[in-house]
Amino acid sequence: MKLFISRKLSYIALRTTGLMLAVLALGHFLITHITNDVAETDSSFVISRWSSTLWVVWDVLLLTSALIHAFAGLALVVYDYSKNSKSRLRTLQLLSIFVFILLVTGLMFMAVSLYRIYGTGV
Amino acid sequence: MTTIQIGFLILLSLSFIIILGFIYKVWKVALFADGGPNPSFSRLAKLGRLPAERAEISRWAAYIHRVSGFAIFAFLSLHIIDVSTFAFSYAIYDNLHQIYSTWPMRLFECGLLFALVFHALNGLRLIFVDIFDVGIRKSNIALRILLIISIATTLGGSFIILQPVFI
Repeated sequence: MKLFISRKLSYIALRTTGLMLAVLALGHFLITHITNDVAETDSSFVISRWSSTLWVVWDVLLLTSALIHAFAGLALVVYDYSKNSKSRLRTLQLLSIFVFILLVTGLMFMAVSLYRIYGTGV
Repeated sequence: MTTIQIGFLILLSLSFIIILGFIYKVWKVALFADGGPNPSFSRLAKLGRLPAERAEISRWAAYIHRVSGFAIFAFLSLHIIDVSTFAFSYAIYDNLHQIYSTWPMRLFECGLLFALVFHALNGLRLIFVDIFDVGIRKSNIALRILLIISIATTLGGSFIILQPVFI
């Protein structure tokens, strides 16, 4: 059976990103919904949050690890539910394209947003 | 209601439909392919009993884990797109973001909180079970404890999230 990605790599990636997300995703929810009310999380909130390097790094890590975790997890779901190896490969290809587009979109627009906040200076 | 808010709501409804379709798929496959007892309403009723050796609860945990993970990913896809408007214009971002503080969206956020907390804690339990080679009995006890923790966290969090609606 031809595998789309190595089982071992997928297992380790799923667990590592899962451990990261337990802190990153819950922390993100905590600051946007619990410690701050969601009505206050407008653009000025984002600008003040991204003035600290910690939160920029936090958001980049959150985005990438969430998408890696989603891809590795959904790959397992596809392995469980696909009827034959051909449809499995096709579904995984579509899924990887979708996740890659999301990753590029997220990182690109985050870079543009940071550029808009800080301008040309460093 | 601006056009971009309507677009957001259409995409949100679309992701709800996709999540429902996924739940249907999980349900159908579980009925045929999983082996052992099928998930059904009579099984659901039996979950109220508490004999320690029953493994049925971990089967349900696996389904909830799968569905909650898929639902979080569906919302994440939408969230990446809606947050991307920040790069174009702060006004559009603020306008779109007002939806998040309406009461139906706050209810959705309470559900999202449960999905996140349950998925995180159950995932940590699975890693723990793998690494330390914990048996079914102890892992089921851990599952009950994390269920109680995630329900308590959701209730507490929902109180904070929904508070501005009632004031």
